[in-house]
Amino acid sequence: MLKLACQYMRYYKSQTFAILASMILTAALLSGVSSLMYSSQRNDLENNKFVYGNWHYYLDAGEEALSSVRAGQQEEGFTVEQCGRLTVRDMVSEPYKIYFVDADESFRKMTHRELVEGIYPSGADEIAVDRYTLGNLGFSGGVGDVLCLGGKEYTLTGIVKSAWAAGSDEMVVFVGERFQGQESHPLLYLRFDEGEKLYKQLEAFCRQYGISWDSVTANDEVTRYLDGERPDSIYDIVKFALTDERGNFTYIILKLQSEYHLAFYGMILLLGIFSLFIIYSIFQISVSRRAAEYGMMQTLGISGAAIGGTLILELWTLFLAGYPTGCLLGNGVLQLFYRKFGNVFSAGTAGKGQSVLPGADQILGSGGTSDFYVAFGPMAAGFFFLFAALAFVGWLTVHSMQKKSIRQAMGGDASFLKGRRRIYSRRNRSLVSVTAGKFMFSNKKRVIGILLSLSIGGCIFLCTTYMTENLKVHAEMSMKSDDGLGSEYRVSVKSDTLSDTIPEAVVDEIRKMPELGQVYGTKYVLGELIIREQELEWDEYFDERNKDSLFLERYGGICVDRGDGTCGIKYDVYGYDEGMLEQLGGFVLEGEADPEGLTQGDQVIAVANMDGQGNYNFYGKHPGDTITLRVPKQLDCLEEVLKFQSPEENYIVKEFEIGAIVSRALAQEDAYLNVNSWSNAESIIMSNEQMRGVYGIRDYSFVNASAIDGADREQAAGEMLERIRDVPRAVLKDYTSAIENQKKYLKQQQFFFSAIAVVLLIISLFHIMNSMNYSILSRRREYGIIRAMGITDTGFYRMILGTGIMYGVLADVFIFLIYHIVLRRFMDYYMSHVVQFLHLTSGIPGGIMAGIMILNILIAAAAVVIPARKIGKSDIVSVI
Amino acid sequence: MKYILELRHVQKIYGEKENQVEALKNIDMQVKEGEFAAIVGTSGSGKSTLLNLAGGLDTPTGGRIYIKGREIGSLTRKELTIFRRRNIGFVFQNYSLMPVLNVYDNVALPVTFDRGSHISHKYIEELLRELGIWEKRKKYPSELSGGQQQRVAIARALVNKPAILLADEPTGNLDSGTTVEVIGLLKASCRKYNQTILMVTHNEAIAQTCDRIIHIEDGRVTAGARLFQEKGGDGAC
Repeated sequence: MLKLACQYMRYYKSQTFAILASMILTAALLSGVSSLMYSSQRNDLENNKFVYGNWHYYLDAGEEALSSVRAGQQEEGFTVEQCGRLTVRDMVSEPYKIYFVDADESFRKMTHRELVEGIYPSGADEIAVDRYTLGNLGFSGGVGDVLCLGGKEYTLTGIVKSAWAAGSDEMVVFVGERFQGQESHPLLYLRFDEGEKLYKQLEAFCRQYGISWDSVTANDEVTRYLDGERPDSIYDIVKFALTDERGNFTYIILKLQSEYHLAFYGMILLLGIFSLFIIYSIFQISVSRRAAEYGMMQTLGISGAAIGGTLILELWTLFLAGYPTGCLLGNGVLQLFYRKFGNVFSAGTAGKGQSVLPGADQILGSGGTSDFYVAFGPMAAGFFFLFAALAFVGWLTVHSMQKKSIRQAMGGDASFLKGRRRIYSRRNRSLVSVTAGKFMFSNKKRVIGILLSLSIGGCIFLCTTYMTENLKVHAEMSMKSDDGLGSEYRVSVKSDTLSDTIPEAVVDEIRKMPELGQVYGTKYVLGELIIREQELEWDEYFDERNKDSLFLERYGGICVDRGDGTCGIKYDVYGYDEGMLEQLGGFVLEGEADPEGLTQGDQVIAVANMDGQGNYNFYGKHPGDTITLRVPKQLDCLEEVLKFQSPEENYIVKEFEIGAIVSRALAQEDAYLNVNSWSNAESIIMSNEQMRGVYGIRDYSFVNASAIDGADREQAAGEMLERIRDVPRAVLKDYTSAIENQKKYLKQQQFFFSAIAVVLLIISLFHIMNSMNYSILSRRREYGIIRAMGITDTGFYRMILGTGIMYGVLADVFIFLIYHIVLRRFMDYYMSHVVQFLHLTSGIPGGIMAGIMILNILIAAAAVVIPARKIGKSDIVSVI
Repeated sequence: MKYILELRHVQKIYGEKENQVEALKNIDMQVKEGEFAAIVGTSGSGKSTLLNLAGGLDTPTGGRIYIKGREIGSLTRKELTIFRRRNIGFVFQNYSLMPVLNVYDNVALPVTFDRGSHISHKYIEELLRELGIWEKRKKYPSELSGGQQQRVAIARALVNKPAILLADEPTGNLDSGTTVEVIGLLKASCRKYNQTILMVTHNEAIAQTCDRIIHIEDGRVTAGARLFQEKGGDGAC
């Protein structure tokens, strides 16, 4: 059989080459994309380790654990690779909340807080501080100088590396063992062996030391890549989705995504299926060219199993040569390009350098290196999948051949006999076009195959474009929402006291800076929304939020039963200026964000709550409905007032009409409700004038600003720092690098997806050329007869070209329908419920849609003209 | 005498250098209007090559070929194609029908190549009735017997009322009974439409029924014998 398979491969060289090429290309694509996604995951992990620390869990361990756990400890079920200890020794709240911590070297190493200058403190009055903290404290001295904190003087013995994403953490200074502070229990920071599942090691660790799960906190940004939590079983996920009223299809998708990396494995599976389709289709063409020979072999008594064996051996032989070659090719080419486009899938690459501006907190700068990792696992899975699937292809081919009688197999296609028996020449129909049409549609399976391959590239390209267009909009909106209009600078007050604000005069000063273009000021107050109990949705969500000890302690809970049939929900209340209100337009779900309406009337904009599946709702209310809002009468109020349980004279209670409902607030606070792991907290938006008029709030809580083109950004930041120098606790965040990084990332992502789409398009094109070539050349004799009957070369080419154009047009219709009826709906679902884009506002540009349509027609036309020229040049006598 | 077909010093060589084969050597031949001539020869003698050259399906290496006084070698590819479809009808041994068209449309096909040319459905019907396949007009070639398929091929060859009908072993695939029928039909066409027919056959008996037999051996015409009187005579066709 092997000999026969080899002889077939040698004899049908061009078809053998086509199958081999399809295997190489698809293997290259499959392995390349897998490696790329895997590399991105690995690099994300490395970046997150850099930003959030190279540790997995910290826990409040008992004495036994503290004394016995050591780096390199190997026990049954876990291996501790590194462990560090951290003790909080003291805290001052002026001018910022600063913790004095005693950390061992191992901790400092894991959290990248190594010394960059001087020595680690050992005396009672010695400290080591990072540049970010020093900058905000306005300290301009160096190592050996004295620094005053909380009324006490300390000698600065060393400077440590600044923490990444410092803005989200409290400021810390490092102290030595002899520091005179409170004695508190140390926290144990652990890093387990990453070669094993982390949750299993943690379970074993907790079992061994009798540690409760409640005392363990995970470094989520790191552990989510390393199986940090035990996943629910797929059975349980599906069972919940089917049996629980809260479960649905989206629940399954989201759970599979978060616990089983659905996107990664789904993409690989789709590429595997795509590869199989291409190989199968090309192989079918190859087999159909020799169907008559197989029919002949059967008449000679060769069994179907033997023919199947020959086919499978042929496929496997080619696959064994093609798959490794493709993997080498795909990985080799991508490795070359990876450094340039490495952070396509990464959410951002943390820079390994220190902040340029000592006083400004630089967020997510660029400049990190990206390494390429070969995804051996998915490659091996792809190999076994395709290897097994090819055997199935061989079986399927023999099965479809056996459905025909031997006579049919030898006689060729007779499917046109099934049609209606019309005499077309009597209807003045052009028999040339009738013939061309019959050639096209006589074999419906082949037509669908060609249309599918013509459409597949276009569909993937359209989906990619749709996704990247919306991704762009989503990224812009996220930036606006997270840092405030995508501004380069943000001045905020590092405090959780409402009266700590940026004075109006300072904001006016900032507005006057010539280096700055747009300057947006936001006012803020914490409020309470009163709703009826029956209007409350997502009890579980609020229960969860209520459990947060910080919320419980400060606010008495986020959602509180007021005992009169109503609930009070803590709300961020923002005052925006006109520019920001205009920018809010893109986030509107219902109604209209009309700045004038807000200023003149008693309207507010409500931010809808979004559930875990991307559905928005504002307690069933809509624009025109009213809400009741309570806010403290004085910003300078007692902490107790923030629990909203003080006497009513401490609050202003006012009813507002909902002017619009939006999906997100812009420029959000990060000290009241958006703390710990909570973000995008419940918010109400009004105008700055309303904040002043209704609540008497004059000063601002945050300012977002952008430099004008050509401005010296470093100087602009310096000037801003200068202006806020006298504002207690005011800090500046510099988003320049983050914005640049984001833009670069988006561009690369677009480029990457387009490149993948183009590769798929090329593979489809290869398939189209092969299919069309076969489709036309298989009619070589019939075309020869037509030529013998006297059709001119022009007429002949016109006939063939018409066929190609018809294929192109049909493929366009196919694409249009598939895209609009199936794919776009799927994409919309995916974007709104799975990846939860903020808004689906961007469709595919008309030019791209038209381009794809025209390209299809051109590809189809080119694909038929090539074999047509071959026929046209051939000698009529020899073909008939 | 006016000849429908005239070959002057026609030579055809296939291949190059040491692989060269001279299929036809200095052929001179004429066929008159209304004549039914048979070319007879052994396999590989060059008879089919001669027919293909005469039909403009192949080009000679040397010499000239005239059809209705027009030298076909002087025509461009397009002119030759148009000239061929208007003046030459072909009947092949393997029928060469379009499998995707039914009998009627197969016959009408050559007419539709000429834009603006009116399809004479009356004439097609007449031809199909004459050839005994009118009842089969909606059948596809694969649903017909060999003899019926060859009748369709004859009808298609005649539909443009060509100056000459070239038939290459038209009975080569048929049994003896059907062979007689098909030859009878060709002769009837020759008689009814004054159709000039040049037929290649290796069957001497069939050739004997024609007006003239042209023997060809090793690429040369060896003899041409008139068996019957010229057209118009008593025994013509």
